[in-house]
Amino acid sequence: MSNRAWPDGDDPVASELRQALDEAQHRVPDDVTVRRGWAAFGSRPTTGRRAARLSWFAGGMASTAGLALACAALLWPRPVGRPQEPVTAQAPTESRRLTLEGGVEAELQHTSVMRIEGSDARVEGGAVRFKVPHRRPGHPFVVRADRYRVVVLGTRFGVAVASDRRVDVDVDEGVVEVWSSDVRLARLEPGQRWNSGVSTDKASEDETAANPAGKAAEKETETPELPAAAPPEKLVPSPGMKIGRPETRRRQSARGAARVAMVATPARSTVESPGAARAALASGDAPRALEIYRNLALKTGPVAENAAYEIGRILNERGQSSAAVAAWRRYRSDYPNGILRVEADVSIIETLARAGETDDALTEATDFLRRRPDSERRGEIARVAGDLYRARGDCRHAVGAYHVALSASRARDVTEAAGFYRAACLVRDGGNNGVDALRSYLRSYPDGRFKRQATELIEQATSKTAAH
Amino acid sequence: MGQNTKDIGEAVNTPGLLRSVPAGKGGGHDHDILAGCRVGDRSAWRALFDRYSPIVHRFLATFGVPPEEREDACQEVFVAVYRSLTHFRGDARLSTWIYRIAARYASRAARRRRVRTMLSSLLLREPLPPPAPDASERTERLRMLDELVAKLSPKKKLVLVLFEIEGLPIEEVAQIAECPENTAWSRLHYARAELMAMARKRLKMKTKSSAAGRKGRS
Repeated sequence: MSNRAWPDGDDPVASELRQALDEAQHRVPDDVTVRRGWAAFGSRPTTGRRAARLSWFAGGMASTAGLALACAALLWPRPVGRPQEPVTAQAPTESRRLTLEGGVEAELQHTSVMRIEGSDARVEGGAVRFKVPHRRPGHPFVVRADRYRVVVLGTRFGVAVASDRRVDVDVDEGVVEVWSSDVRLARLEPGQRWNSGVSTDKASEDETAANPAGKAAEKETETPELPAAAPPEKLVPSPGMKIGRPETRRRQSARGAARVAMVATPARSTVESPGAARAALASGDAPRALEIYRNLALKTGPVAENAAYEIGRILNERGQSSAAVAAWRRYRSDYPNGILRVEADVSIIETLARAGETDDALTEATDFLRRRPDSERRGEIARVAGDLYRARGDCRHAVGAYHVALSASRARDVTEAAGFYRAACLVRDGGNNGVDALRSYLRSYPDGRFKRQATELIEQATSKTAAH
Repeated sequence: MGQNTKDIGEAVNTPGLLRSVPAGKGGGHDHDILAGCRVGDRSAWRALFDRYSPIVHRFLATFGVPPEEREDACQEVFVAVYRSLTHFRGDARLSTWIYRIAARYASRAARRRRVRTMLSSLLLREPLPPPAPDASERTERLRMLDELVAKLSPKKKLVLVLFEIEGLPIEEVAQIAECPENTAWSRLHYARAELMAMARKRLKMKTKSSAAGRKGRS
């Protein structure tokens, strides 16, 4: 229940606003965003005054140049803009080859109709084959076919729409996934084919077997053979399109694994994005989130990197610690200098230590300390290494590790624990250094959380000395 | 060496230690963190970042910085904090100072976005696409609030966001907005009234359109 003074009143607007303000108050980024932020901020080069002066100078020059360019662009004779209205292209008698925006090649088969809508295309009837050069992540080429949307990142494939609105997809190169709502209906590899009825190859059967919802979706329709293409309706000139010679269709071997997702409208719920994965996690659907992250991890760029790390985190949260460690190790091998590299190292050490894999955890921790002399996590890791050595009864190495922790960190929770345990290890090894260290601990932390244990250890050590 | 390790406390004390400090709950007082940051202690910087980055993130989100720019914006704010920390006298609270930097950055970013949109329309380019909503954090209500807050003037928006969402007292809001307290109250009053009026108008339109939809179906 909100305790806001404003907006008061019981009317629906006030109550809606109150709830919205409360929700806004609790809008914080997730842990990974914060960690990624720190990874970028912590590694950012800092510039001095000279650099600042230089950057002002460069900024000034850039602004002047930008202004000059803007003026030139304004005064330049304006080109005739590309028509905003969709353009229809068709191949009434023979196949026709078009080059669309972004170097996309489309080959319209005999009697097919395609509309160019901005930078996207819609297959209205017949069959069209596309060759899409690799696209930047986040800038897909979109082919619409009936109620489906084919989001293409770069591959060679064909889309056909029959007169009864059945859609057929086949792949020459790359990998194509066919989606309907949240269900993946098929994953097609080169040479395989899917239509909006039942899939016609083993790959599709495998997918649907793994996904009963997909199977149910497929049962809704029959498995028709692709009927003859719809007859062309009209021919409209298509300015801006290059028309080439008809070209025969070639099947090519698989190269790379460019991914295409075919999604049903509305597409937003099915688009695989970090946001969708976070939403799935927030709604408690961890398997779905995991699936999204696994698909994202196959791509390239920061999203893929983040996804590769997140896979480990989700697995760890689900109690699959060894799988999580394997996922983070995979992240490390894929991104040896990744922005979340330190986080991956730390997560691995933490998970191994928690799972009781002391030897592995120690190996990782010592490796971390050797490789990262400047890391701000050095104190924490050294303290963990000390704890692990102590658990093995190796007080000599534990003292060394605690010493590193004390010199690397100023955080109280690290220094206090490292100070006490180092002193305790020294006492256990015998000698007066330990008692001195314990006294020093008590002076530094008069109300520390190990006060009682420190006092007891001092008493034990002094009584032992007196007995001798 | 053969002794049991239990006599010197619990064996391995790792869980939780290695985790990042929870968002907004970084350990230590501001003055300890500040002292550490001033001498270049990385763990102090980490504590400062962990404590304030979620707050800055939220503030930027409510102030209308689109999701795809938010992380970079947060970075810029902390780089500004890094560069100016030596000039921070400690007259105000650290949070107030960071809010002020974030508010300046957000206003500048909004100005830049406006110029960019204007230039792209002048240069006959396609208008910039609207920012994609972040499915995980934006409910319908939050979207509505963001849209309404975006329509307020920058000064009113700043005061409203700081007071109603960030929950700061009005004297701190006035410090951040660099105006007298009475002015801050006055801006808050008008911002609330405008927000309420816009919300009412929106609800009215929504009711009308849903009634029309029902009529059309029947």
